[in-house]
Amino acid sequence: MRGYALILQNELILAWRRYRLVVLALVFLLFGIEAPLVAKLTPALLKSIGQGMTITLPEPTSVMSWQQYYKNMTQIGLFVLAIVASGTVSRELNEGTLVILVAKGLRRNAVIMAKYTMALLQWVVALLLAFGVTYAYTAYYFPDELSPHPWLALWPLLWFGVLWLAIIILGSTLSKSGFTGFLLGAGVYLGLTLLNMFKAVHRFNPVSLTNDNLALLTGTKTFWSLAPAYAVTLAGAVACLALAMLVLKKRRL
Amino acid sequence: MTDFELIKEYLPFLIPAVLIELALAITGVISVLRHPHYRFGNRILWLLLVIFVQPFGPLLYFFAGREVE
Repeated sequence: MRGYALILQNELILAWRRYRLVVLALVFLLFGIEAPLVAKLTPALLKSIGQGMTITLPEPTSVMSWQQYYKNMTQIGLFVLAIVASGTVSRELNEGTLVILVAKGLRRNAVIMAKYTMALLQWVVALLLAFGVTYAYTAYYFPDELSPHPWLALWPLLWFGVLWLAIIILGSTLSKSGFTGFLLGAGVYLGLTLLNMFKAVHRFNPVSLTNDNLALLTGTKTFWSLAPAYAVTLAGAVACLALAMLVLKKRRL
Repeated sequence: MTDFELIKEYLPFLIPAVLIELALAITGVISVLRHPHYRFGNRILWLLLVIFVQPFGPLLYFFAGREVE
């Protein structure tokens, strides 16, 4: 436990000194601004393209703003976090820096858990920062009643991060290359997305947690309709972390 | 609507966005210039990336490109 806290503390200090936390925060603040901007800009852009034509354009709504937010978070945000977490274990393996820690009596499991916690922390903070910005702009520019559940809609995506980062950490433990975690994550994501073509799987598929946010936002789906997917996500995350610990235990450092 | 009014309408989005991108570019440039070695790529490549490819250039640099002592 002491080892875990030490490594986590060290990770936080390093991430701060290497400007990583600041850069991550800035990037997600930018995503947060972009979502309502795109919602506001799209009708104006279409109008300028179709000059002379009479097209009836729907007024931008809060739903369009949130739609862009979830698009950003699932198509870019998840992969940004994959880059963030992808090198964490593999770099240590590559540079042999774990040898010192383990020789000092730190448990290898603590390494995995601390790296995972750090990744999860960054995911939660990044997502919430962007959420806060989008929330504020949306409330100001699109004060309609169409998005009654903004908080509820965010939870499944936050929860998906639990599995997502466990997969990335597992990939990062498997190889000395900094890209294996990223590739493993992308592969699993693609596989799960394809699986979702079967309707029966939808309720159980973790990837549904990244697809159904708008339905939750507008209230056409309930939070617990995805209950099995939450469970599968958690089970998958535990399995990935256990496997990562096993791999690291057998590995020569 | 005149161009000026149009720009003014979007200022609440533009000002913070431009400030954030500037901050990212400046931290990126300073760091690239201070560190002569990179995991991959060279100084020119990283300078171009952190200045012009916003916001992914700085992100990639700080998380994957920068060599850590």
